Amino acid sequence: MVIKVKNLVKRYSELIALDHLSFSVRKGEIFGLLGPNGSGKTTAINCILSLLKYDKGEIEIFDKPMTPEAYDIKRNIGIVMQNVAVYNELSVYENIDYFCGLYVKDKNLRKKLVDEAIEFVDLNDYRKFYPNKLSGGLLRRLNIACGIAHKPELIILDEPTVAVDPQSRNKILEGIKELNKKGATIIYTSHYMEEVEQICSRIMIIDKGRAIATGTKEELKAMITLGEKITVESYDISEEHLIRLKNLPNIVSVEYKEQLLEIKSSKGKNNLENVLEFIKRENIQFGKIYSELPTLNDVFLEITGKELRD
Amino acid sequence: MPVYKLCMKITKKNIPHLLIYIIVFLIVSSIMAVTAQKSHKEQETFSRVKTNIAFINEEESPLIEGLKDELGKAANFVELPDETETLQDALFFRRIVYILRIPEGFTQRFINGDYMPLEKTTIPDSYSSAYIDLAINKYLNTARLYIQQMGGITQEELVSYLKENLSKETNVEIPYSEPEADLNYSNYFFNYLAYSLLSILILGMSALMISYNDRDLKRRVGCSPLSDTAANLQFILANLTFAMVSWLIMVVFCLIIDAKNSLTLNTFYFIISSFIFAFCGSGMGFFIGSVAKGNETISAITNVVVLGSCFLSGVFVPVEFLGSTALKIASFTPSYWYVKANNRIAQLTHFDAAYIKPVLSDMAIVFCFGIAFFALSLVIRKNRRYS
Repeated sequence: MVIKVKNLVKRYSELIALDHLSFSVRKGEIFGLLGPNGSGKTTAINCILSLLKYDKGEIEIFDKPMTPEAYDIKRNIGIVMQNVAVYNELSVYENIDYFCGLYVKDKNLRKKLVDEAIEFVDLNDYRKFYPNKLSGGLLRRLNIACGIAHKPELIILDEPTVAVDPQSRNKILEGIKELNKKGATIIYTSHYMEEVEQICSRIMIIDKGRAIATGTKEELKAMITLGEKITVESYDISEEHLIRLKNLPNIVSVEYKEQLLEIKSSKGKNNLENVLEFIKRENIQFGKIYSELPTLNDVFLEITGKELRD
Repeated sequence: MPVYKLCMKITKKNIPHLLIYIIVFLIVSSIMAVTAQKSHKEQETFSRVKTNIAFINEEESPLIEGLKDELGKAANFVELPDETETLQDALFFRRIVYILRIPEGFTQRFINGDYMPLEKTTIPDSYSSAYIDLAINKYLNTARLYIQQMGGITQEELVSYLKENLSKETNVEIPYSEPEADLNYSNYFFNYLAYSLLSILILGMSALMISYNDRDLKRRVGCSPLSDTAANLQFILANLTFAMVSWLIMVVFCLIIDAKNSLTLNTFYFIISSFIFAFCGSGMGFFIGSVAKGNETISAITNVVVLGSCFLSGVFVPVEFLGSTALKIASFTPSYWYVKANNRIAQLTHFDAAYIKPVLSDMAIVFCFGIAFFALSLVIRKNRRYS
C-alpha cells in the first residue's frame, strides 16, 4: 500500500471535517477522491501531508507513519495544490527549478528534470515568462510542473482543473494518465465526476467528511438500483401516460418537466425497447430519444439524496 | 540553499523599488545631518553682547569717570535727557534696560566710608542688568579695598590702580579636550541611519515575507523534504545579507561625504555601532514580517514602530528635549540605545577601556534586541506552522 488512512478525525471546534475516514491507496493506481465542495477532500489531503494536525487516526505512507518530520517520505511525494502556488517574481523556469531544488540538490540532474517537466506540460515557449503573463490554463500547467518535476512516486493533485478551459483540462488529464503510466501512484481530488470517471482506477466518494462508497466506477454504479436513464423529448405527455409508464417492468421513476420525459429504470433487459413500444402504442409524438447509463452523480444522488454539485 | 537563493532572487526583482528608497533616505539623511550640523555650530558660537544703559551723573569726579570707563566694557551708554517720563519711556520701549544714577556727593561719602546707595532702575527680570550690577559691585568693592588699605590715596591714584587691577585676566585651563575631528556630520548621519536603515530593512523584508508567507506556497514548501529549521536559517541568512548590503551602501555613502573624518577611531566605532544596529534591524524586520499579514499591515506597523521609536529615541529630536517618561518608554526600543551609543562615541577623545565600556554596553543591548527579535520570530513561525 502506498497510503493507509485509518479512522482519521479532524474537527474545527463544532464542525467535524473528517469523520473516521479510512481508505488505502494501492501502488500504481489513480485514486479519486470525489465529493462536493466542503466535503473534506482538501482537509484529508492536508492531514495526509502533515500540513494539518488531526484529532485522531493513523496515516501511513510507503508503510511508514507520516509525520511533519518524515522527510524521507516527503522526498517521494509531489503535490499540486488547488490554488496555483508559484512565485510571481520568478519565471516559469525559475519556479520549476526552485520547487525541484527543494527535492533534488544535484544541479545537472535538476536541469534535466526541469526541462523534462517543462516539456511534459508543454510550456517550452513560456520558459522565460513570469506567472502574471500566463493565462489560467498555462498557470495550472505550471502549477503541475512545479509539483511533479522531481519525479515523485506519489503525486497528490488537489482539484488541479478548477477554472481551466476545456482544452487545458484535457491536456492536464492526459498528462496525469501519462504520469501514472510511467509508474506514479496518483491521488486525484475533484468535484467534477466526469474527470474522476475518466481517469481514476478507483474512486472514493466522500461527503461531510465520511467515505460513503469506495470502488471502481463499475463497482460504484453496481451499488445502486438505477440501471438506465431514458430521456424522451415530447410535448404530448399526459398524466395518464405517466401513470401507465410507471407500470411498465423495471421502471423506477417517471418525471415530465419542460417537455422532457425522464424515465429511470432498474437493471434489467429491454427497458428502452419497452418504452419505445409504449410510445408507439400510445401514438405519442416525440423528438429525440436517448438512453444513458448511470453516472457517479446518480450514485451520489442515490446514496446521499442530493446532487454532487448541490 | 534553495530558500536563500529564492530570497535573493525576489530581492533582486525588488531592487529598483528599494533603490529609490535608499537614494531618498540617503539624501534626506544627508540634508538633515548637514542642517543639524549647522545649527549645532550656531549654538556653539559665543559673542559678547553689551547692555544698553542710561548713565545719569549728578557729579563729576575721577572715581565716577573710572566707573563709567569700566562699565563701558559691558554696556553701551545711551544719551538721554534727565527727565522721568523720557527715561521711563526708554525703559518701556526697551531702548535701555538699566538706568544708573550717581547722586551728588556720592564720591566724597564713598571715600569717607559712609553709606550712600547708587540709584538704579531696571526692567523687571532682566538678566542683562545683573551683569551691570556685577560690574558696578566689582569696581566699587575693589575701590573700597584700596581706600581702606591705602589711607590718603588720591582719586587719580585710586582710578589708575583700579584700571590696572581690573584689566588683569587669569588663564584657566580646563582638563577637557575637544575631539580632534568634527564628528557632527557623522554623529547626525549615523543617528538618522536608525530611521533610514530600519525603514529600508522592514520594507525589503516585507516584500520578501509577503511572497514567502503566501499560504499555498508555504504549504508546498511544507510538503517538501526541506526542514523548517533549514528553511528558517536560510531565510535569516538572506535577511542578514540584505541588511548588510543596505548597511554597507549607507556607510560607504557617509564615508565618502565625510571623507576627512573617515579615518578616525570615532568613525570606526560609529561603523561598528551601525553594523550591530543593522543586525538588530534585520531581526526587527524578520519579526514584523512574521507577525504581520499583508502589505498594508506591514506598512502600518513600519510607520508606527520606526517613526515612533525614532521620535522617542532622539533620532529626530535631541534626547535633552524629551521627558523622562518618553525616555523610559524609549529605553524599550533598540534605537534609543543605538543613538545613546552614537552620542557617546561622538564625545570620545580617549579610547581606553574605561571610556569605551559604556559604548560597548549600549551596543551589547542593541545586539541583544536583535537576538530577541530573531528568537521571537522563530517561535511565532513554529507556532503558526499548522495554522
